[in-house]
Amino acid sequence: MDLREKILRHRKDHRLIGAGLVALLLLFTALFYLAQRGRDLPAALVTNRVLLFVLWYVNVVLILIVVFVLLRNLFKLLVERRHRVLGSTFKFKLVATYIGLSLIPVLLLFAIATELLQGSIDRWFNTPVAPVLERGNAVAQALYDRIERTNLRDASRVLSEIRGFDLDAPGERPRLTRRMQELLQEMDLDLLAVYEGQEFIHAILNSQSGIPDLPEPDRSFLEQAAREGRSTAVETPAGTNGSLLMAAVSSPPAGGARPARPPVVVVAGSLLDPVLSEQREKLVEDYQAYRQLQVQKDDLRASHLLLFGMVTLLILLASSWTGLYLARRVTVPIQALAEGTRLISGGDLGHRVDVEADDELGVLVDSFNRMTQELESNEKLLEASNRELTTSNQRLGEERALIAAVLENVAAGVVSIDSSGRIFTCNGAALNMLRQREGDVVGRPFEEAWSDVERSRLAAVVKEADLGPGDRRESKEVHLILGGEWKTFEAKVTGLRDSQGQVQGRVLVLEDLTELIKAQQLAAWHEAARRIAHEIKNPLTPIRLSAERLLRKSQQGDPGLGKAIEEGVEIIVREVVTLQGMVDEFSRYARMPRPRPAAVDLPKLVSETVHLYRNLKPGVEVEGEVDAGLSTVKIDGEQVRRALINLLDNAVEATEAPGRVSVAAHAVNGHLEILVADTGRGIPPESKEKLFLPYYSTKGRGTGLGLAIVHRIVTDHQGSIRVEDNAPRGTVFTVELPI
Amino acid sequence: MRAKLALLCFFLLASQARADARISEIKIGLDGDRVLTTFTLRDAFNHRLLERVESGLPTPILYRFELARDRKRWWDEKLKENTLEVVAMYDAVARAYTVHYKLDDKLIESRTVRELKALEEAMTTVENLPVFSLAGLPDDWRLLVKVQAEMGSRTVLSFIPVTINTDWKESSKFHAPKTP
Repeated sequence: MDLREKILRHRKDHRLIGAGLVALLLLFTALFYLAQRGRDLPAALVTNRVLLFVLWYVNVVLILIVVFVLLRNLFKLLVERRHRVLGSTFKFKLVATYIGLSLIPVLLLFAIATELLQGSIDRWFNTPVAPVLERGNAVAQALYDRIERTNLRDASRVLSEIRGFDLDAPGERPRLTRRMQELLQEMDLDLLAVYEGQEFIHAILNSQSGIPDLPEPDRSFLEQAAREGRSTAVETPAGTNGSLLMAAVSSPPAGGARPARPPVVVVAGSLLDPVLSEQREKLVEDYQAYRQLQVQKDDLRASHLLLFGMVTLLILLASSWTGLYLARRVTVPIQALAEGTRLISGGDLGHRVDVEADDELGVLVDSFNRMTQELESNEKLLEASNRELTTSNQRLGEERALIAAVLENVAAGVVSIDSSGRIFTCNGAALNMLRQREGDVVGRPFEEAWSDVERSRLAAVVKEADLGPGDRRESKEVHLILGGEWKTFEAKVTGLRDSQGQVQGRVLVLEDLTELIKAQQLAAWHEAARRIAHEIKNPLTPIRLSAERLLRKSQQGDPGLGKAIEEGVEIIVREVVTLQGMVDEFSRYARMPRPRPAAVDLPKLVSETVHLYRNLKPGVEVEGEVDAGLSTVKIDGEQVRRALINLLDNAVEATEAPGRVSVAAHAVNGHLEILVADTGRGIPPESKEKLFLPYYSTKGRGTGLGLAIVHRIVTDHQGSIRVEDNAPRGTVFTVELPI
Repeated sequence: MRAKLALLCFFLLASQARADARISEIKIGLDGDRVLTTFTLRDAFNHRLLERVESGLPTPILYRFELARDRKRWWDEKLKENTLEVVAMYDAVARAYTVHYKLDDKLIESRTVRELKALEEAMTTVENLPVFSLAGLPDDWRLLVKVQAEMGSRTVLSFIPVTINTDWKESSKFHAPKTP
């Protein structure tokens, strides 16, 4: 792995970022130190051209880096926005905010600081120092100029004075020396020298000047004097601290004896006082330093601006980079979360957000991943449940089809009704019994489907069925006239309960009892005919025997015929009376009138009836009880009284002492319920089915019409009667009448 | 690739300013296999240069020389290059100007003048300067000398440094002397 790959791999490493920040801090510290040291550096170094260009190129490189970083990120953001990458708008805003927050203050600071810097530099050169220095320098230079002019004049005079001397003649030298000495003292000079071109001829020094040795003028000084006729120079002679101002003038050699000879050059010099000289030098140097600064003003400003710009750009680079880094730390997890949300909403529940984040965003990412994991496991569970449900539905469908097939093939009519009272299913047997089509009943409320006069009784049975707690099943006999035919059904209503025991609907099971009742009636009539024949035959035998005896007595002329006639007629009349009573009983049963309901005081009716049987049979108690709320009921009082008498008659007769017979009347679900219970011998199960048939009796005597009459009265009142065993012994007759 | 791009930007941004100064006709002389160059830099001694000299700062004028082979209908081929740096310094105390001449970064002469006119002449006049040796060059090549002067730098917009250069001036064509 090369270095580039290592850097790319670890570029998000916090340690690397920390090291970068430390390096940046060190760089700023170094720059600050250099800036501090820069104050002490000479202006020429600060404004060095190489330094300026280096600073400029560093700035350019930094600008390019900043622009590159910003443009690169901006381009990436724009591309992401164009491709509508999730979270790109948020990222764009965040990055723009970060960069704006760093760019604006830094650029503002740079602009203000630049203006202040320029103003400061301008003010440096606008201070009154410049005129002072200029005037001081002018004064110093004027002093020099004046001395130089004096020296030039003196040198010219000396030149004219020595013109008469033959400089080549050694005998002339003492006279030349004297004259030059005189002129030196007269002109108050410190040096007088004579040259021929560059060649030294003669020189004298003022002994008071303190110049130890004859100074050697610069070659160019003498050349210029020889070439141009005059020149000036300033030197500091060895062994002195003062400046020696020299002026040289030249002229062609006197007499023109040797025109090819170099010109004669006279140098006159004045040594300036060391203190004055030093002050002047200092003044000139200061002025020069000031002028140098002035000349370098633009370069100085440029170097400061470039240095400042470099620092600004470094700050900008650092802040931009930091801003981008921070923005990325926020946006990358959010973008990953948004992308994850999109994928998960698209059904990819196996997707996990793989982003390193250790703050609240990290918590968010972890929560998101946990949530998706749970979603994935829930989906798997859901799929498993769905499969099970599908299997279960298939099984239920099969079972439902089986049940439907069974229901279609059972003889009983089965009708299911939902909780809203709407008929849900109705099998073929029920449709046949009720003589309806499936479309007439299924999906319709049962009260609406059975609203006609013929079937409204059935609707009432279903509606009034008591679906109290427990597996309660209510059975009623319903008589309907369907298509002009009298039909008798046994209607059993059962509640449909869910697992909590709540009634969710009901099931009506119908059994057609019409044929059964017809058969029972036929059998009953057969039994009745047998019993009638038997009952009639019983009185007829004594009648026939009495008649045959009378005939025999008469044929024999028996003297006891008269008595025999008396006795025979008595027997015949008695048996005829019996037959007459029997016929009257049948007539009453046959002629029983339709009930005429009217307001009846039920407690009174029960009390009077019970009173008839009290103390009738020793050891048998007869009691009556009526609910307090039942005072007046609308029934046919006489018929109900007769029914009660028949029931009590049987009960008292069947109860042996000690025993108890009770009559109780209650109001139950809008019905009048009358219970007649005894503690007698009970009724065998096989007799219970025939108990209400006419002429059926278990007593072996009587007409067998008592319970048949009771049944007739009850059914004529649209009520019902049933017989059950009493606990611990005896029988209970329950009469239900609508009130 | 990135390094090349950075270098390109570097050169594009290396600004140059054209000077008002110009180089007069270049005269070429041959001394054996040495090429002697004579020319004058005109209009170079402006107020800016003078102020800098008078302030006592070292004030350079850099002359760049190129020896090129002239090729018809094609670019000249640069054979050699050399520089002459003329640096003037003013001693305000002595009131004298010292001029140093560095050929190919080697000091070849120092001169002291006391007048501005002499200073200008010393800085702008180049006489018979042996800048190149033609040894080893074929005598049938047409050669020429190109000269450019750089007179310091200035700043644009207060912070962008630019060098002040004259245009390149070309001499007349010449041939290397025939070897005996």
